[in-house]
Amino acid sequence: MIELKNVTKYFRTPHGKKYLLKDVSFSIPEGVNVGIFGRNGAGKSTLMRMLGRIEFPNFGEIISKKSFSWPMGLSGGFQGDMTGRANVKFVCRIYGKDRDDIEKALEFVKDFSELGDYFDMPIKTYSSGMKSRLSFGLSLAFDFDYLLIDETLSVGDKRFKKKSKDALMRKIERCNVLLVSHDMGTLKEICDVGIVLNNAKLHYCDNIKDAVTMYDNINK
Amino acid sequence: MKVRSSWEIQKSVIYALFLREVNVRFSAGKIGYVWVFLEPLLQILIFVSVKILLFGKRSSFDYAVFITVGFIGYNLFRHIVNNSMSAFKSNKALFAYKQVKPIDTLIARLLVEIMIMGVIALVFIIVGFYFSYDMNPENLGMILITFVWLIIFAFGFGLFVSVIGFFFTSFTKVVKLVMMPLMFISAIFYTLADLPPSAQQLLSINPLVHFMELIHASYFHSLTDQFVNYTYMLIWTAIPLYIGLRLYVRLSKAIVSQ
Repeated sequence: MIELKNVTKYFRTPHGKKYLLKDVSFSIPEGVNVGIFGRNGAGKSTLMRMLGRIEFPNFGEIISKKSFSWPMGLSGGFQGDMTGRANVKFVCRIYGKDRDDIEKALEFVKDFSELGDYFDMPIKTYSSGMKSRLSFGLSLAFDFDYLLIDETLSVGDKRFKKKSKDALMRKIERCNVLLVSHDMGTLKEICDVGIVLNNAKLHYCDNIKDAVTMYDNINK
Repeated sequence: MKVRSSWEIQKSVIYALFLREVNVRFSAGKIGYVWVFLEPLLQILIFVSVKILLFGKRSSFDYAVFITVGFIGYNLFRHIVNNSMSAFKSNKALFAYKQVKPIDTLIARLLVEIMIMGVIALVFIIVGFYFSYDMNPENLGMILITFVWLIIFAFGFGLFVSVIGFFFTSFTKVVKLVMMPLMFISAIFYTLADLPPSAQQLLSINPLVHFMELIHASYFHSLTDQFVNYTYMLIWTAIPLYIGLRLYVRLSKAIVSQ
């Protein structure tokens, strides 16, 4: 369960505070996949980052005993001078994996990302597609209660897209996702419930279809 | 995922960051790694030659050893502070992993600097033995204590500057500007005792001078700590560290979020 208690989040702009959430309290029940809807700038990614504890509300608190992944598909955390392998090792280490687990993770990521010899080359030599593949593989090498996914379901070519989607579907049999996307098809397919963000308000729909309808109405 | 204590998490994060820093700085094909040893060597060679050319060889102690310990201390301070100042910005992307706290990046960089200094000191000791320099320090314990103190001073000062500098970039620039002439005003290659009283007074404002004088005084029998103001050193260690930590506790979330 994830509980939001009187959460307020705003950004300071030259024209005053811009509220993304204003005194929002609600809870997400156990075991559901959540789609997050909202127009650009509505605060979807910020909400996701707050759930992942890498951003914090201005007021109120978010309580959960579950583990959350980093926003998936993130490649900003890679160090360009280091090889793909060294970067994967780094993330394994901060998550406290031991030597054997690190070896397993390295095998898995190398295999999944299909980087071949590039796995041992500095990341700065990678194309953006290669970086995304590495980062996607990396996220799959860890076990979390919740995967945070920010519009990164589509990386690589058509074949790789299918492969990563299949891998993700297998993964979410054992965990839940919080998904930010503009792709209604994907949202409907993966998520059970929806959160619609609009004008600093948060609407929770316990049926994903209601969320889609509501989002369509906002966009009219 | 298994539950880990916050200390375990911090330990593994610092360890991972440490390896990452070492990996980046000493990766193959980089001049950085030669420079780490070349820089202090050049500094020492230049200053020793200048001294011998201008004033001759006579001295109550071995000038090469004098200058080497001075530069090791000075470089340690400068590198810790400089690397602290850029730590938050260059590791910003890593704060997306929630276990990585900004202060961990400072601690990791501190450890890298201490390690590098240790290796350099070792190299100089071996070279010194080879050329049979008189390197016997008067009070080794006091030298080590002063170095540890210097490291704490540098860390506190670096923390203070990096927290403020993260929000006010111009502050970092001012500090860099102030630190530029530091090599010449820190009693690295001379002692205050050799200078006229007015210069002694002026240079004593620089806290680093006190650390250098203390290191030199503990190393050589013929030098004393008459210009070392321990209270002044303590103030410069405690106040930046205290303010730095207080500010960090208040602002660490903002540093992560930016």
